[in-house]
Amino acid sequence: MIQDRPAPAGAPAISCRGVWQVFGVNARASLDLALGETGGDTAATARLLRQRGLIPAVQDITFDVAEGEVFVIMGLSGSGKSTLIRTIARLIDGTAGEIRIAGEDILTADARRLLALRRDKLGMVFQHFGLFPHMTVAENVAFPLKMQGMGPEQRRARALEVLELVSLKGREDSFPRQLSGGQQQRVGIARSLAVNPDLWFLDEPFSALDPLIRRQLQDEFLSIQADLGKTSVFITHDISEALKIADRIAIMRDGVLVQIGTPDDIVLNPVNDYVREFTRDVPKGRHAHVETIMTLPASLPRMPDDPGLRANMTIDSALAACMSLYQPVPVWGANGEIAGVVKPSDLASALTPDEL
Amino acid sequence: MFRSLSPAIRAALLTLIVGMVCMLLAPYLGWLQKWPASMTLPATEWIGAAVTWLVELIKPLARWGAWLLSYPMGWAAFILIETPYPLVIAAITALGWHLGGPGMALGVLAGLCFVLFSGYWVQGMTTLSLVMVSVPLALFAGLVTGIVAYRMPALRRPIQVMLDVMQTVPTFAYLTPLLLLLGFGPVVGLIASAIYSAPPMARNVLLGLQRVDPEIRDAALMNGANSWQQLILVELPAASRQMLVGMNQSIMAALSMVIIAAVIGGFDDIGWAVLLTMRKADFGNSLIAGMVIVVFAIMIDRLSSRLAEPRGGHSRKVIWGLLGAGAVMAVLAARWLPAASEIDIFAPLAERTNSALGQFTANHGATLNAIRNNAMIYLLLPLRIGLDHAIVPVMWGFGWTSAMALGYFGAAAALAGWLAWRGQILAALMLLTAAGVVKLGIAHLPWPFVLFAAGALGWVASGWRLALTAVTLLGLILIMGLWEPAMLSVYLSGTAVLICTVLGGAIGLLSAVSPAVWRVVRPVCDLLQTVPLFVFLIPVLMFFQIGEFSALLAICAYAIVPMIRYTHQGLSSTPEELVEAALASGANSWAIMTEVRAPYAAPTILLGLNQTILYAFSMLVIAALIGTTDLGQQVYLALGQGDVGLGVAAGAAMAMLAWVADRLVQAFAEEKRAALGL
Ligand SMILES: Nc1ncnc2c1ncn2[C@@H]1O[C@H](COP(=O)(O)OP(=O)(O)OP(=O)(O)O)[C@@H](O)[C@H]1O
Ligand SMILES: [Mg+2]
Repeated sequence: MIQDRPAPAGAPAISCRGVWQVFGVNARASLDLALGETGGDTAATARLLRQRGLIPAVQDITFDVAEGEVFVIMGLSGSGKSTLIRTIARLIDGTAGEIRIAGEDILTADARRLLALRRDKLGMVFQHFGLFPHMTVAENVAFPLKMQGMGPEQRRARALEVLELVSLKGREDSFPRQLSGGQQQRVGIARSLAVNPDLWFLDEPFSALDPLIRRQLQDEFLSIQADLGKTSVFITHDISEALKIADRIAIMRDGVLVQIGTPDDIVLNPVNDYVREFTRDVPKGRHAHVETIMTLPASLPRMPDDPGLRANMTIDSALAACMSLYQPVPVWGANGEIAGVVKPSDLASALTPDEL
Repeated sequence: MFRSLSPAIRAALLTLIVGMVCMLLAPYLGWLQKWPASMTLPATEWIGAAVTWLVELIKPLARWGAWLLSYPMGWAAFILIETPYPLVIAAITALGWHLGGPGMALGVLAGLCFVLFSGYWVQGMTTLSLVMVSVPLALFAGLVTGIVAYRMPALRRPIQVMLDVMQTVPTFAYLTPLLLLLGFGPVVGLIASAIYSAPPMARNVLLGLQRVDPEIRDAALMNGANSWQQLILVELPAASRQMLVGMNQSIMAALSMVIIAAVIGGFDDIGWAVLLTMRKADFGNSLIAGMVIVVFAIMIDRLSSRLAEPRGGHSRKVIWGLLGAGAVMAVLAARWLPAASEIDIFAPLAERTNSALGQFTANHGATLNAIRNNAMIYLLLPLRIGLDHAIVPVMWGFGWTSAMALGYFGAAAALAGWLAWRGQILAALMLLTAAGVVKLGIAHLPWPFVLFAAGALGWVASGWRLALTAVTLLGLILIMGLWEPAMLSVYLSGTAVLICTVLGGAIGLLSAVSPAVWRVVRPVCDLLQTVPLFVFLIPVLMFFQIGEFSALLAICAYAIVPMIRYTHQGLSSTPEELVEAALASGANSWAIMTEVRAPYAAPTILLGLNQTILYAFSMLVIAALIGTTDLGQQVYLALGQGDVGLGVAAGAAMAMLAWVADRLVQAFAEEKRAALGL
């Protein structure tokens, strides 16, 4: 029997508990066996599975995504990011663990319930767009509505509405192949938004695009996200993209979750070298905020100078503000004569890029 | 010492030893060359009994199906034959316009006018009507099979094996059981052609569906499609290009088979017209009827291959105009124009061709005979029955003596020694083996040697499994008592393949070197590949009469095409950066060809060889019509005598031979490709 269970109040939008995804023959039995042999130790189990020719693409992963949150998953190629969200969306059946979407167990949902969920609640954007080549832009966008059983005119009206949202008005009767990559991905985004899903999956949606278009679409994503307030799971390789859009970032390595945290956390407190490597080239001052490094000592010292810092300032801006306390300093020429003077605050602000 | 040799050399050495032992013992142990009759299983009888039993079982159902099918067949024939021909021509021309615009329409119009003037309009339309009914059947069956294979991975392997079998079993072999099942009549040809032409469709449907981008599949699911909606709304449309390619191949196969089915006779279609005129040595008319077939084949091929391409909107008005003009002409035709069957504008041409041909053969008969006889005496016979039997005073002017044998093997050994000294041990061993084979003759090869050689090849190419399968299949042929005709098939197709490899390889190489040559060769290849097999018989018969040499020529003409194509493609598709790297290292064009292009092209060329072998096998059966003595002939004889057991057994034996050859070559190609990291 199908029933629409109301989500328990405050249930996270997604909740994963001990999720495993193992590829290979007899995956489930092999996993159970290996877990038994190792006493449930994740790393040892994965090693055992690999030895037996199976691929533990996702290993014992546990996390929650809160309502309205943008949750970014990062990791090297082959670390299991796509597999994880494909498992959450149940495009493939998880091998073990529990996945709840708005409190509802998705791994045991039957085919009809799953269909209903996908028709009403879930949307997905694909790395290579996944557009149907034989349908026009409007037909592509209207496809999920057609699956919902909406009539042709309403479908088209809604499709045009969503296309406007991604600024593709006027191209509705083109075929996907006639559009540029950026435009195609907009169609993919529009299609995933057509049914106004609660939960939005994006698998490297912008990776195939050039940097300019990427930035533009990121901004569009943020504004759509702000307007519609969806819960999003977003995969990317690009740390600056992640820092720009994420509420929280999860970092994966070889199927294991290495660290989950806010962007500041990830940048300033990487748990190991793997994570540090990701954030190595990140200008930390630009992404981390003062609040993440400030302390509150037991007794406050006397503080005559006040550059006027605030907790949510980036470290760069805070530094520039502090520099304004210094006097100008001399600059020497090649022959030891004074070439000029410079204010330390100018030095600092020259390093700070215009606010993005 | 033996262990330290490479596997290929070990296998070749053992094969050579087995061959030598067999050769030395053969004079004393007759059963080495001839499988004793007492050991032969009466497999043909068993198969005959089994098939007859099965036929009797499903006969009522089959006859009922045949009766059902006779209706659409009647309608199709009625539409094409009873409709006034101007209207038919106008309609098909309009179709040409719709699919391909003015050029296509003009071509179609010209082709149809040729058919009309040839005097074979009615026969041609009869053939077309059969195709019209068999193609939808085949397409539907192929579509369903393809979808099932795609959706049920467990069934995929068995289905693929079944498709392989359906396509390697020679065409005639289908006809005998069907004849028994359905009785005489055009339905046999219809069903045979549907069976024969379904596999290409099924394969392409499966391929197309497998190639659908997995992301698109996921996208359909995520958008809430259920699995039927996913298939019908997304996967099938996305695979449509590949499916249309399959459709084109299916239609061509159906046409080819409908024409071949004419050999069972009794139905006035275009294949029968060719056969009849050929039997009467009325080559002028065979040529014209053959050209009608070619015109149909080209027309249908071009029209159906246009299906797979996007269409520019060609004006609807022209279509209506054409149909209108056709209707007007039809009304006029009823009063003024002659009936289609009365048109014989080309009759004088046929007469003249016949007399010219008569003159030509009268003048050059000696030359033609000399060509044929020399080829027979100096090439075919020695290969077939061995040097010692072929070199007799009547033909060569001298006989085979033991001194000659000594000299022959001495020379071979010297050459092999030189090769071995240069480090080419494998080549030396193969040379010695080849010398032995030529001395004995392919048809007289001792069976233990053949089985061992096939096993060794299989083992070197891929491993124990292939070796075992090859030996088992050949062993089956042996104990079924079909060894002799089977070895004759090997001899005939082997000779043809050898000629095609050398000649086709050379032409392919030339085409790869010179674009000008390719511009000439390419349309010829296209044409040869479109022409139904049957038609190849006409020209060879015209000049060389019935016999093995004519059969060989026909086989070569058909089977050489893939060799040319693949050689050309392999040699000319070397990545540019490889060529540039070689140039930068100071290689001249010869060095580039031999050092870079040829090794890179090797897997592709091997695939071409594979295709050539399969083509040669499929032509073997058709060549049986003009006098061969191999398995193909057995299949054909069985058809004439209604001997299902022999028909099926010989057909199966041919399929097994083809299968073994196919897998061996493919395995080598695979190994080469893996070695190149492709
Ligand atoms: N259907 C499958 N069968 C077997 N192995 C698979 C399958 N899908 C994925 N894998 C394996 O699982 C591992 C994780 O793959 P996944 O696609 O999730 O990586 P990813 O993190 O998304 O990488 P990328 O950034 O390149 O997209 C890889 O080793 C991959 O080979
Ligand atoms: Mg991925």
